[in-house]
Amino acid sequence: MILIAEDDELILRTVEHKLVKEGHEVVLTRNGQEAIEKIEESDFDLIVTDIMMPFASGIEILSAIKRHGKKVPVIVLSSMGQEEVVVDAFDLGASDFMVKPFSPNELILRIKRLTNR
Amino acid sequence: MNFHHIVLHELILAIIVVLILVLLLIITVLGYSFYSYRILHNRHTWKQIIEYKIMETIVGSDRNDEQDREFSKHLKEPSFRLLFLEVLVDSGRKFSGAAKKAINRLFYDFKLEDEAWRKLRQRKAYLVAGGIQELAAMNVEAAIPEIKAKLDDDRAAVYQEAQYAMVSFQGYEGLEFLAHFDKPLSDWQQLRLLSSIHHIPELSDVQVYSWLKSSNDSVVIFTLRLIRKFRLMTFYPAIYALLDHLATAVRVQAIRTMQAIENSTTIGQFITCFDQQPIEVQLEILKSMKLARSKESEEFLKEQLLNHPKVSIKILAAEVLVVLDGGQYLREISQKEDTYDELIQIIKHALQEKKC
Repeated sequence: MILIAEDDELILRTVEHKLVKEGHEVVLTRNGQEAIEKIEESDFDLIVTDIMMPFASGIEILSAIKRHGKKVPVIVLSSMGQEEVVVDAFDLGASDFMVKPFSPNELILRIKRLTNR
Repeated sequence: MNFHHIVLHELILAIIVVLILVLLLIITVLGYSFYSYRILHNRHTWKQIIEYKIMETIVGSDRNDEQDREFSKHLKEPSFRLLFLEVLVDSGRKFSGAAKKAINRLFYDFKLEDEAWRKLRQRKAYLVAGGIQELAAMNVEAAIPEIKAKLDDDRAAVYQEAQYAMVSFQGYEGLEFLAHFDKPLSDWQQLRLLSSIHHIPELSDVQVYSWLKSSNDSVVIFTLRLIRKFRLMTFYPAIYALLDHLATAVRVQAIRTMQAIENSTTIGQFITCFDQQPIEVQLEILKSMKLARSKESEEFLKEQLLNHPKVSIKILAAEVLVVLDGGQYLREISQKEDTYDELIQIIKHALQEKKC
């Protein structure tokens, strides 16, 4: 089961459809706070999160994962000029990152690599 | 009696007229609000339809005839087509690779190029700028000559978008306009242009030297940023010469650039020119020394800490000394009996900063 936390509807839906096509079960959230709640409630195989989101950022999501001691690979989606935040994300345990504009196909390949599918 | 009757009659008439006017005003406001609501609602619904279409194209899902018919029906609406174009351009900024190609394909399949061309030929600046943005985002190379002509437009919204479009199309070659550009290039525009240049061709030296000599300070500053981005070491002597430039902003950028492409002479040159520079440039020199962390600047910094008349310079000099492991020296100074209070405070502040 994969959690996608992204406030851009087009990106969210595109990644969801690609993953469903690949046979994954997908859970969607449009804000950081909701993502943290879902992470507390369930165990995910992988999380894809945007850095900038309403209510809680991708960094706060990574902190929550660390706080709860969950071992889950996280791919961070960032925008140009957020290099420093990406460094923080890696310090908090992010496994990989992609800079927008990004290729959904490449994201799927990275997800495959991290989930060994 | 008759006179009073007439006055009363006219008063009633006047009240009725006012009431009718108020009623008409209420109806107009309600009508306009409903119209605005419809537009907003349509935009929201249309945006969802358009984004679904884009998503469907990117993921290559099976086509649904009913949805296709519905979409074609909407396409007959000019405002829907304009929104489609807007959303498409916005989506192009989110994706790369095959997804970006799919978005470009939609642009041509639905002949949205016509809308963008039409906007380019409008009079209003924001429409022209929008047209330029859309044609550039969808990489319509046939638009280059017309966009190039807009570089000379007097309206900032138009020429700025044309500059960005030229750089998006042609990369470094798109910067040709800098040779004769006489208006200020805003910071935001400079950053936009810089982010679109990914490569500097060989044999570009003559052009870069000419921009460094431009009478437009913003062009000189942009060129310095370009040199910094690509670490163009060969321009070092020309940048050093800019420390005599009339504009302080240029000198500040020159210092930053010298630090970015520093060599064994840089710190010595900073020390030599320091006294002739205004305070803004002196502060920048100290900031550069902080980044360079060179022991060569130690004595110079001690001198500034003790004797410079400006407190801001003393504070920064103390901070740089801390970075250069001069903490012990600073503590000794602060414990001397003849050290004045202000200097003790400056040193305490610098040592505290280090702890933070």
